[in-house]
Amino acid sequence: MALALLLALAGCARSGDERAPITLVFKHAKILGPADPVPGLLRQFEARHPGVRVKPESLSWNSDDQHQFFVINMEGRGAAFDVMMLDVVWVAEFARAGWLLDLRPWVSAEELAPHFPSTIEPATWNGGVWAMPWLMNVGMLYYRTDLLARHGLAAPRTWEELRAQVARIRAAERDARLDGVVWQGRQYEGLTVNALEAIWANGTRVLDDAGAPLPDPERAAGALAFLRSLITSGASPSWVTAADEELTRRHFGDGRAIFHRNWPYAMDLFQQAGSAVRGKVGIASLPGRAGVGDGVGSSGGAHLGVDRRTRHPELAAALVRFLAGAEAQKAMSVGGALNPTRMALYHDPDVVRAHPDFPAIYELMLRARPRPVTPYYLMLSTTLQPEFSAVLVGVKTPEAAVAQARRRLAYLLEGLR
Amino acid sequence: MTDRQRRDARAGEALLAPALVTLAALAAWPGLWVLWLSLQQRIPIFGIDRFVGVAHYVFLAGDPRFWNAVRVTLTFTVVSVALEVLLGVAVALALQRQQRGRRVAVALLLLPWALPSVVVGRTFEWLYHPSAGLVNFLLGGRAVNWLGEPALALPALVAADVWRTMPFVALLCYARVLTIPDAVYEAAHVDGAGWLATVRAITLPLLRRVLLIAVLFRTLDALRAFDLMFVLTGGGPANTTETLTVYAYRSLFQTLQLGFGAAVGAIVFALVMLVAWAYLRAVERAEATA
Repeated sequence: MALALLLALAGCARSGDERAPITLVFKHAKILGPADPVPGLLRQFEARHPGVRVKPESLSWNSDDQHQFFVINMEGRGAAFDVMMLDVVWVAEFARAGWLLDLRPWVSAEELAPHFPSTIEPATWNGGVWAMPWLMNVGMLYYRTDLLARHGLAAPRTWEELRAQVARIRAAERDARLDGVVWQGRQYEGLTVNALEAIWANGTRVLDDAGAPLPDPERAAGALAFLRSLITSGASPSWVTAADEELTRRHFGDGRAIFHRNWPYAMDLFQQAGSAVRGKVGIASLPGRAGVGDGVGSSGGAHLGVDRRTRHPELAAALVRFLAGAEAQKAMSVGGALNPTRMALYHDPDVVRAHPDFPAIYELMLRARPRPVTPYYLMLSTTLQPEFSAVLVGVKTPEAAVAQARRRLAYLLEGLR
Repeated sequence: MTDRQRRDARAGEALLAPALVTLAALAAWPGLWVLWLSLQQRIPIFGIDRFVGVAHYVFLAGDPRFWNAVRVTLTFTVVSVALEVLLGVAVALALQRQQRGRRVAVALLLLPWALPSVVVGRTFEWLYHPSAGLVNFLLGGRAVNWLGEPALALPALVAADVWRTMPFVALLCYARVLTIPDAVYEAAHVDGAGWLATVRAITLPLLRRVLLIAVLFRTLDALRAFDLMFVLTGGGPANTTETLTVYAYRSLFQTLQLGFGAAVGAIVFALVMLVAWAYLRAVERAEATA
C-alpha cells in the first residue's frame, strides 16, 4: 500500500517535471484604483508564451515597506522573483548595487524613445538600461475653476500671482473656512518633492551635474523662505507642515481650498459622483516665480526591472517589454486609473474618452523633471527632510538649514565616493 | 553539600541547558553580530565594506541628530510611563470600587490594548486631523496643528501611547487588587480608616511589586518606541519626534548604512539593558523588604 502510494507520487512528480512550466514571479505594489488590469495582461502574456506562467505577488502599498522588502531580499541573496515594479527613485540605486539586469541586449534606444523624457533618464543611468518606464506621475496645480471665474481670474503662472489671487478671493468670499493653497509639508518624501519643485521654480537645483549638493545656497534658501512665507502669511493653513497627499486631497475635495498641489490621481476622485467639487476643478502647471521662470512639476512613477539572478533573463525581459508596451499600457490606462509613460497614449481617442484630462496632463508630463537621478537619492532625500521641515515650522532660518544640509551631505557623499 | 545535592544541582544544570542554548542562539548571537556590524562601515549597495572600529560611535558622540533622538526618546519614555502608571492605578482603584458592569468595563479597557498599533496610528491620525478631526471639533473647531507644530507633536504622540497602553498597567494592578483579602479592608474599616487612608496604607504598598513589573515592561517598550512616530509624524516636524529607533531604521533600511545603523541599534540595546538591570535590582530590593 505504502509502496503503491510512493510510486504514484513519483509518477506525479515526473509527469509534472515533463511539462515543466516555467514560472516567472512578478513582484509589484498593490495596484490601487477601481480595477486591476494586471492579471488580465499577465494571462495575455502567458497565451503568447506557451509553457510560461506568471505569478503576480503583491507588496504592501507603502513605498518604504517595498523598499525594505527588496533590499532585504536582494542583499540576502534570497530573492525569489524575476520581475519587479520599482519606484523610479530606486532604479539608479539598485543598478549601482548590481541587483538589476542590464536590459541592453533586448531593449534598444528606439524602444525607449516613445516614453516621456523624464522617465528615460532614471532608466538609463550610467549608460545601461536598468528598467523600462511603466507608470508616470507629475506634480501639478489643481484649482477651483468656479471661484477663479467668479472673480475674473485665470490660472496663476507665478506663485506671487497665486498669492494675490488667494487674498482677493478670500476677501471677497468672506468664508473663514476657505483656505488658500494646500500642499505636502510633513517630514517625508512628499516634502522633498514639494521643496524640490520650489527650488526649481527659484532657478536652482538640489544636485548639480558634478554631484555637488545645493550648488546655489542663496536661491535654495530663497525657495524655502517662500514656502515658509506661504504659511506665515496665511495663504496656506499652518497644518500643511503635517500634511501628506491624502490629507490635502480630502481638504480640497471638500471644497475648502482654492489651490492644491498633488499628483494626477486626485482628478478622478474630484470628478466622482457625490464629490463637493465635481466639475469645478481645473489643472495647470505648477507656478513659477516672478522674474525667474516657469514652474516645473516633479515626475514620479514606477519602472519595471529584472532581478539580475533570474534563471530566465530572456523571458523576464520579454515580460517587462510586454508590460511597458503600447498595448499593455493602453489597457492599464483605459481599464484602470493609471497614467502611462508612453506619450502617444495621451492623445489616443480610446484613452482620452476614459480620461478627458489626458491631453492637458500630457503638456505637464512633457515638461516634468525627475528627482535627482543618483544612487544616493534616498540618503539625499532623508537628509534634506528634517532641514526643510525645520524651516517650514520656523525653528531654523532657511539659510541655516541650507548650510547644515550642505555640510551634512558633503560629508556623507564624500565618504561614499 | 551532600552527594545527593550535588547530583541534583548537576541535573538542574542539564535541564537548564536547552533553555540557555536557545536563548544564546536567539538573543546573544544576533546581539553580538549587531555589535560586530557596528564596527564596520558597510554600505553593501555601494560595495563598501571595511572595518572602522569605533568610528561610528565617535561620530554619534558629536552628532546633534543623535542627541536630539536621545532627548526625544527619554522624554517620551519618562512622560508616557509616568502618565500610564498614574492613570493605570487610578483606573484599577475605580474598577475595584465599581459595583456594576465591571466585566463590561474590563472588556472596554482591553480594547485599545488589543488593537494593532498601526490601526491605533491611523485612528489617531483622524482624531488629530486639523480640519475634520474629533479633537479639534471638541475644542470648538479650532484648527490646532497637533502633528505639525514642534511643541505639540511629541505630546500628541504621548497621548496616543498612553491611551493605547494605560490599560496594560490598569489590568495588572486590578488583578493584584482583587487578590487583597476583604478581611484586610474590613479591619481597616473597623479601625476607622477612610478610603484615602486605606488606599495609602494598604492598596498602594501591596501594589508596589506589580507596579515595578509594569513599569519595567512599559519602560523597555517606550525606549524602543517606533510605530506611532513612524505612522503619525515620520519623526517630524524638524525631527522633534525622531526617536533612536526611528533614526536607526532610517539609517538601516532607508539609506542602507548597515554599520552606522547597527551602531545606533547597539546603543538602544545598551540603554534597554541598562534600564532593565537597574529595574531588576529595584525589584530584588522590593522582594527583600516585602
